[in-house]
Amino acid sequence: MTSRLLQNFKGGRALMVTGRCGWEGTLDTTLAKLGVTSEYPRIVGGRAQIDVGILQPERDILFVDGDLEGAVAIEVNPASRLPPVPVIGLVGVEAPSRLKALVNLGATAFLRKPVYGGAVYASLFMGINQFLLRSDMYARLQDLEGRRRGRRAVIHAVILLMQQDGLDEEGAYSQLRRGSMRARQNLELYCEEFLSRRANPPDIPGRATSTTLQGGTKQAM
Amino acid sequence: MARKQCRIGVMFSTTGSYSVVARSMLNGALLAFREIAEAGGAVTLEPVVVNPSGDLARYRALSLEMLGAGIRQVVGCYTSSSRKEVIPCFEKFDGLLWYPSHYEGFESSDNVIYTGASPNQHVLPLVDYLASRVGARAFCVGSNYIWAWENNRIFREALTARGGTVVAERYLSVGDTEFDQVIAAILDQRPDFVFNNLIGTSAYAFFRAFRAACRARGIDQASDIPVASCTLSEPELAEIGEDAVDGHLSSSVYFSSLDSSANATFIRAYAKAFPDGPVSSADAEASYIAVKLLAAALEQAGTDDARTVRAAVANRRLQAPQGEVRIDPQTYHAWLTPRIGRSAVNGQFEVLLEARNPVAPDPYLVQSSPRFAVAMRSPVLRVVQS
Repeated sequence: MTSRLLQNFKGGRALMVTGRCGWEGTLDTTLAKLGVTSEYPRIVGGRAQIDVGILQPERDILFVDGDLEGAVAIEVNPASRLPPVPVIGLVGVEAPSRLKALVNLGATAFLRKPVYGGAVYASLFMGINQFLLRSDMYARLQDLEGRRRGRRAVIHAVILLMQQDGLDEEGAYSQLRRGSMRARQNLELYCEEFLSRRANPPDIPGRATSTTLQGGTKQAM
Repeated sequence: MARKQCRIGVMFSTTGSYSVVARSMLNGALLAFREIAEAGGAVTLEPVVVNPSGDLARYRALSLEMLGAGIRQVVGCYTSSSRKEVIPCFEKFDGLLWYPSHYEGFESSDNVIYTGASPNQHVLPLVDYLASRVGARAFCVGSNYIWAWENNRIFREALTARGGTVVAERYLSVGDTEFDQVIAAILDQRPDFVFNNLIGTSAYAFFRAFRAACRARGIDQASDIPVASCTLSEPELAEIGEDAVDGHLSSSVYFSSLDSSANATFIRAYAKAFPDGPVSSADAEASYIAVKLLAAALEQAGTDDARTVRAAVANRRLQAPQGEVRIDPQTYHAWLTPRIGRSAVNGQFEVLLEARNPVAPDPYLVQSSPRFAVAMRSPVLRVVQS
């Protein structure tokens, strides 16, 4: 799997979770040069008013001021540790507790306050691409987890072929592998379907499904 | 009323491996200073000329020296490495660097005014031209620093997006003139063209050696494997020498052969002021533009404070030798007119194509590049035996 590398941020929307202190002008103008618009959600009762449900990871980037205690309540996926959109931490007080809070929000890049224009592109580049990279890696992890669970079906299918068709282990595995390639499926999924088919064999007309003895003559199987 | 005096730093490496272009840039700036003085006005400009000799440490030391002495406006730098070296000094002292050369983009310091071409004004038009009229297979050569790395990267992505390929990239140290291996590799690959990002003496040596190597093999280099550049200018054609001067493609916003009365006036004044050369170039014109815009902004601002001058130059227009030039208020880069030229035996460029109107600068290629980078995979197979 090759991770996509985003380098043109045109059409992006930066949601700034920070108080208006004066330094953010540099961030706004630099983001505008990069084709990114800035919005400042209202902070009510110490909490930024953001509708997480409408956030789009292809468009939105969340800039979170680490000096604001608990201003953002977004759900980070417990398995992937990924937030719904890329998060860039704005670092003022460089204390472990503040940095940890930003990491826990899923921040993939930091920008030091007051923001220096020359640092914005690098931070955006890193923040968004690390988010994409982690998303791709998580998808890959999910895929591998699924396949790991499917290995049980592979073992069952190999044993079944050995028992029913008289193949050795290598021959059984090769047959399944060839079958999965022909079906353009991964081996684990193919084996699961193979086992289902073997468990419920289809009725084939004209073929005797049981052996009967007639007139004292043995009928060969 | 007494005229306000203002000292302006002028920093070009008039000695060293890329001194030919830098001397033409100095000439362009000095011509503008001279014309401004003759025209009179509210502000008298006093140029303070320094020469870092192509040494990055000297660029930094001289910048700090000028800024420390109270000079807040400096016109200078040719290479991107020198510009990047001095920008922190200008940001620290809140000075303004007027950078008068084409460059690779992906930068927009609040303490720099960029009067040279952005990548959408030089390399992208060249890719369009090459892909549609020359061929699809490119061999890239360049001097080993940020300009060539990034310009080749932009070139590669744009060419790949048009179905072309870069068969190889080779980098040599600035000033290096040993090209036997690179030329052998080019002749082995037989690309449709060479994309050149070598600068200074390295570039001149390459043009000569490549022409000679092709000639020795019976190859008509100019037509069979043309060399295309975003840097090549008239004073450099003189350095290449008449034996290898013709048939090279250049993407630039200015050629001294432009047929306009503004350019004719500029060329006459330049030749009269600097009869010993080097002749004018795109970067000389960009330096001329920088000083003219700086003077106008200073006059409007009434101070040399960086922020005030910067605000005064936003949206300012100038009828330059290349045509109308305007400073973009968002990026502080210039609207310029892209052109493609081909060098001739007379040391001039024949203009093959030009934009109808000035083109907006797009230093981050926000408007002119795909959202995702072109995937550059490592080869699946590797050579184990040749």
